Amino acid sequence: MAARPAVTVVVITYNDAARLPRAVHSLYAQTLRDLEIIVVDDASTDDTADVAGRFPGVRYIRRVQNSGGCGAPRNAGLDAARAPYVMFLDSDDELPRHACKALLTEIERTGADFVAGQIVRHYDDSGKHAPYYPELFTPRRTVEGIRAEPELFLDGFSTNKIYDVEFLRGHDLRFREDLLYEDHVFTARLYARARRFAVVPWPVYRWHRATGEKQSISLSLRDVANARARVAAAESADQALRDAGMGDLVARRQARFVQQDLRVYLNALPRFDAMWAKELAAVVRPYLERLEEGVLEGTDPMTRVCGELLLRDRIDDLCVAARSLTGPKAPPRQAIRVDGLTYWGAEPDPAFEITSMRLAELPFSESRLRHEVTEISASGSVLSMSITTYDPFGVVGLDTVADLIAKKHRIRLIPRRRPDGTIETEVALDLAAVAPGRSLADEPRLGFTRPLDGHTTGDPLLVGAGLAPLTLKTKGYEITARPHGDTATLRLHWRKTGLVRAVARRPSIRPHALRVAGLPKRLRGRLSVRGVKLAVYKVLIRVVPRKKDLVLFEADCGRGYTGHPRYVHEELVRRGSRLRAVWSRSSGEFPAHLTTVRRMSWRHIWTMARAGWWVDSHGMPLGFPKPRGTRYLQTWHGQGIKSTGLDAPDLRGDFPGPREEWRANVARWDALVSPGAEFERTFVPSNEYIGPVLRHGSPRCDVLFHGDPEAAARVRRALEIPAGKKIVVYAPTYRDLSRGASVRADLRELAAELGDEWVLVLRTHPIEKHVIPQDLRWFARQAGGYPEVNDLLLAADVLVTDYSSLMCDFAVTGKPMVFLIDDWETYRRTERGSQYDLPEIAPGPCVTTTRELAAAVRDPWSPERYAAFRRTWCAEERGHAAARVVDAFFEGRTPETPVAVIPQPTEAAL
Amino acid sequence: MNTVSFACLDADALGGLQRVTHTLAQGLARRGYDVHVIGLHPSPDPVTYIEDPAYGHHELNPGPRWGLGAGKRARRLLDDIAPGLLVMTSPGVVARLSGHLGGHRGIGQYHGSFAHARGTWHLGAVRAHYGDLDQAVFLSEDDAWRFSEEALLPNTWHIPNPLPGWPHRPSPLRRTRILGVGRLTGVKRFDRLISAFARAGRPDWELHLIGDGPDTDRLMFHAVTEGVSQQVVFRGRIPAGEMPTEYRAASLVALSSDHEGFPLVLGEAAAFGIPSIAFDVSGGVRTLIDDGVTGVLVPPGDVTALATALTELMDDEPRRAEMGAAARAHADAFRLEPVLDQWENLFTHLSR
Repeated sequence: MAARPAVTVVVITYNDAARLPRAVHSLYAQTLRDLEIIVVDDASTDDTADVAGRFPGVRYIRRVQNSGGCGAPRNAGLDAARAPYVMFLDSDDELPRHACKALLTEIERTGADFVAGQIVRHYDDSGKHAPYYPELFTPRRTVEGIRAEPELFLDGFSTNKIYDVEFLRGHDLRFREDLLYEDHVFTARLYARARRFAVVPWPVYRWHRATGEKQSISLSLRDVANARARVAAAESADQALRDAGMGDLVARRQARFVQQDLRVYLNALPRFDAMWAKELAAVVRPYLERLEEGVLEGTDPMTRVCGELLLRDRIDDLCVAARSLTGPKAPPRQAIRVDGLTYWGAEPDPAFEITSMRLAELPFSESRLRHEVTEISASGSVLSMSITTYDPFGVVGLDTVADLIAKKHRIRLIPRRRPDGTIETEVALDLAAVAPGRSLADEPRLGFTRPLDGHTTGDPLLVGAGLAPLTLKTKGYEITARPHGDTATLRLHWRKTGLVRAVARRPSIRPHALRVAGLPKRLRGRLSVRGVKLAVYKVLIRVVPRKKDLVLFEADCGRGYTGHPRYVHEELVRRGSRLRAVWSRSSGEFPAHLTTVRRMSWRHIWTMARAGWWVDSHGMPLGFPKPRGTRYLQTWHGQGIKSTGLDAPDLRGDFPGPREEWRANVARWDALVSPGAEFERTFVPSNEYIGPVLRHGSPRCDVLFHGDPEAAARVRRALEIPAGKKIVVYAPTYRDLSRGASVRADLRELAAELGDEWVLVLRTHPIEKHVIPQDLRWFARQAGGYPEVNDLLLAADVLVTDYSSLMCDFAVTGKPMVFLIDDWETYRRTERGSQYDLPEIAPGPCVTTTRELAAAVRDPWSPERYAAFRRTWCAEERGHAAARVVDAFFEGRTPETPVAVIPQPTEAAL
Repeated sequence: MNTVSFACLDADALGGLQRVTHTLAQGLARRGYDVHVIGLHPSPDPVTYIEDPAYGHHELNPGPRWGLGAGKRARRLLDDIAPGLLVMTSPGVVARLSGHLGGHRGIGQYHGSFAHARGTWHLGAVRAHYGDLDQAVFLSEDDAWRFSEEALLPNTWHIPNPLPGWPHRPSPLRRTRILGVGRLTGVKRFDRLISAFARAGRPDWELHLIGDGPDTDRLMFHAVTEGVSQQVVFRGRIPAGEMPTEYRAASLVALSSDHEGFPLVLGEAAAFGIPSIAFDVSGGVRTLIDDGVTGVLVPPGDVTALATALTELMDDEPRRAEMGAAARAHADAFRLEPVLDQWENLFTHLSR
C-alpha cells in the first residue's frame, strides 16, 4: 500500500477474538475500497493476535500493556493512521456498508472538521434495532460550531464520526487515557474546537447489544466506580469547555448529563437496593451541587424531583420516585395540592412542584394509580398476590369496584381501605381460567371501575425488581411471571408444553418444526389473497341468485355504524321493512343487535354476491363487479370544498390504472344521494357520474336538523366532560401528501388559553392517528374512535375544522365554527386542491395561529357569511332526507319536494 | 470495470425513460464500454431508438408476467455478461433484480421527483431497496438530497438526463406563440396553463398544446369557459421529427404540471434558445431552469403568479431574447457528452 489511502479505520479490541472478525468483515464489505484498516490490540490475553494475523491487508498494532480503557488504543491508532481522514470502530460493533464512503464524500463536499451520523443500537437477541436520538441527526446539514446547536452535546460518541486527521492533530485532540468515558471528554473538546461540522441522518454505526448484555450492563452499573468515572468524565468535559473559553455553554453540556448520564442510573434504581442507591447518591451529589444555575430546574419534573431527592439524601423516597421515570411511569405514592399547585410527596416544597404534569386534573378513566405488589407467590396454576394501591389524587370513591384484568379475563376483588389512605387487595389469579389467546405475553392490570358511569382506570402492577421468575402450569402451557423493564412491571409469558412441543424445540428439529407449523398459515395466506376471492366471487355472482330482501350496508369502508347508511338503515327499521340488513365491519364498535360480517372475509364475499341491495358511503371493494340484479345506492360520505373523484391527487397522478378502476367503481352506482345542487355541480362531473341523483338532502343530517336532546349528555358522559365546561370539537381533515400532520393547532398553547372554560374534543380523520400526551389529557379528549360523529356535532359549542366536509353538516345545526387554515395555500395548490376560495366563503373566522384560534373560539360569530354558506350547502336539508331516499330507492316512489325552509341561525344557538 | 448494463421493465416501449436509456447506452458504447440493455418484458409496440446499436440488447421474459422461472433466467443472463455495473432504471426493476445481481454492482436509478415518489409506493420501495445498492442515482441534486434525508439513503448521487439531440439553429423568437407539450392528462394540469393564459389577456398571442390524451374534451371545454378558445390551439400528437419546426415557431414554453421528474421539454426549449416558465415542482425543474436567467419559476399551483410571469415575458421582447440566449448556454450542460462525462465521474467514484 504505497499510495496514501482515503480513510483509516481504527479498530480497537481487547480479549474479543470471537467478535473481532465480524467487525473486520464489515470493513471488507465497505463500498469504499481505498481503506486502511488498523487493528489496535490492547494487550489481549486470548488468541486475538492469531485471529488478527489471519486478516489480509490489516495493520495489526499490539500494545504492550493493557490500558483498561478505550483511549490509549484509539490514540495509538490515530498516531499510526496514514489517511487524511480517520474513523473509529470497537471490535464488538460494525460499520454499515456505505458508512466510510458516504462520510468521506460528505466531509470532502463540506470541508468540515468532522461529520457525525446516526448511531443505531442493534439488539442481538430480539433482532430489533433502534436509532439513538434520531431527531439530532435530521435534517442533513452543516453546523457552524456547537454554539449554533448546543443540543448536539447529546451526541457524545466518538465512533459515529469521520474526522479530518489534520484538524485532530493540529488541535492536539486525543483521547484521555486515564479515565473511562473518555468519549465524553473527547467530544466536548472536539465541539469546542470545531468551527464547522456536518451532520447526516443515515445510519453510520451499528452498535451491537449482545444477548445477555443487559445483565453485564447492570453488573457494570452495580459497580459504583462506573458512576464515579462518568462523573469524573463530566467534570473534565466541563473544564475542557471552560478552558476553550466556552464557559457559557457548560450549562448546556450539563443538561446533557442530567438528561442522559444521570438518567442511566436513576432509571436503573428500581433494580437495585437502597445501599447501592446511597452509594450512588454519594458519588453523584457533589457534581449535582456544583451544577450551573437552572440546569436541574430546566429538566422534566420527575427527573428534577429525583435530582432534588438525591441532593437531600432522601434515598428511600428516591427509589420510590425513580419508578416514575420510564415505562408506564408510575404516579407518586403521595402528592399534595396547595393553592392549585401540585407537589410530589407530603409537603408543599417548591423544589418538588410537579403541577405541569397535570396528574391531579385527569379525567377518571385517564387517572393514574400506583399498584405495588407486596407479596407474590405461585402454586400450581394460581398466582397469589397482595397489592397495595396508592391513590395520590383521591380518585377512588367508596363505591368504586376493583378487578384484576389479565387478557380478557376479569376477577372481581374486594379492596380494603387502610387508615393511611392506601387500598389493600388480595388476588388469587387462576391462570387456568385465562384464555392464552394469540399474544403469548400479557401485563395484568388492576382496574378500578366507577359504577356511576362504568369508566375504568387501569394501571399495571409494580413488583420488586429482584423478583425471581415464578413458574406456573396450566393444561398445555407453562407460564412465567417476571418483572419487565426498569420500572419492573409484572409480566406473564405463556409457553406451550407437551411432548411434541418439547421435541420441536430441540435445536436440530426447530427449523423444520417452524416450517411445518407455518404451513397451514401459508396455505391460508395463499387462499385468502384478494385475487382468489375475486375469482371465486366472479363465479359466484353468475351461479347464485340474488336474495331480494338482503341489504348489505357499509359505512366508512366498514369502520362503524354511522353516516348516511346508518340513517337509511334506521329509516327502514322504523318502517318495519321486511328487508334484512347485514353490515360490513372492519373495525370500530357496532351495536350488538346488528348482523355484521368482517370486510373482505369469505362471508363478506358471499354476502356481496347474494345481496339484492348495496348501500355504502365510500365504495364497495374496488374491482368487484356488481352482480346482475343488485341495486347499489351510493350515499357519498360528504360534500365540501375538497376536490374529489378524478380531480383528487390519488387519481390525477401519472398512472392510468387507478383512474380506470375508479371509473369502473362509479359505473356500478345505480343511484347517488345528493345533499344539494352544489354537490351536483362539483362531485357529479368530477366523477363522471351520469346515473340518477336523489336530491333530498343528507340522511345523516336529519338528526342535526331535528336535534337530539340526549346526544350532549351521551358525549359528556362518555368523554367525562364536566357540566361546567364548554365543548370545542376540533376535527381536522387529513393531508394527502403529509400523513400525520393534520393536527395543526398547538394543543399545549390552546390548553393554556382555553383550559379554564373549555374542553377540547379531538376528532381526527379515521386514517389519522394522534396520541394526546398525558399532561394534556385534562383538557383534550381523544375522540377519533368515538362511534357517532353526529353526537359530537350535537354536543359541540364550537366546531374548529379546516377543510373537512363536516363544515357542511355542522352548518345545519346553526352553531358557530372556526377555521384553522394555516396551510390553505399549500392545501389548495399542491395537496388536495379545491375549487373554492375558503377564506372567502367560510361561515366563520379563518385563523392561522393557535393564539388567533383561541380568540376566535371565544368569539366565533359571523352571521352574514353563515347565512350565505347555508344557502349554498344546506338548502335541501329539511330533516326528512332518509325517508325520501328510502321512498325513492327502495320503494320507487318519487317524493314531492316541499319548499325549502331554512331556519336562520340565532345568537341563542350559541 | 468496463461493462455497463441497463435494465428497464420494457426497454423498447415509447417513453422518456427508454429514450434516455438507449441514448446513454449508445454514448457509453461509443466511448469503449461493453454495454447491454436488458428489457425485463417485451414491449407490445416496440420503438427503435438507435438505428445502429453498438451495445447488446436482451429480453428476459417472453411475456408480461414475472413468473416462476424469471429469477433463474435473470441470473443466467447476468452471469453471461462480464461482471460490471448494472443500472436498474426504476424501483420495479430494482425489486425484481436486486436479488440476482451475481458479480454485478447494482445502481438504482429513479426517474421521478421526490415529490412524486412521496405520493406513490415508490418512496417505500426506494427506502426498502436502494440503500443496499452500490449507488442510488437521482436526476437532480435537490432530489438526491431529499431522498438522503427522508429515505435515509447514504449512497445518493445525481446525474441529469441527456438531451436527445442539439439544434444547430435556435428559435428566432419572432412568433407570438406559447408552447405547451405533454399528454393531455390530469397530472399535466393544462387547465391551469389555459386559465393563466386567459388571465394574461394578450389577444395577439396563441397557446399551442402539443399532445393528445383522455382530457382533450375537458380542456377544450375549459378553454371555451375561460373565453380563449380562439387563441388556444390543440395540435394533437406531432411526430418527433417535426418538433424542431414547432420549437422554432415558438417564443415561450410553459409547463404547469403537478409533478415532473426531469422534464426534457424544458431542456429542449432551452436548447432552442426559448425561455421557459414552469411550476417549481421538483429539483429537475430547478436544474433545467435557472430562475430569472433562463426562464421563470412559479410557486406550484399558483395560477395568478403563472399569469403574471407569462404577461411579463410576453410584453418584453428584449428580455425574451436575453433569456433565450442564456437558456441555450445553460442547456449545454445537458448535451450527451457532458452527461456521459458525469457518468464516468460516477464510475470513478464507485471504484474508489
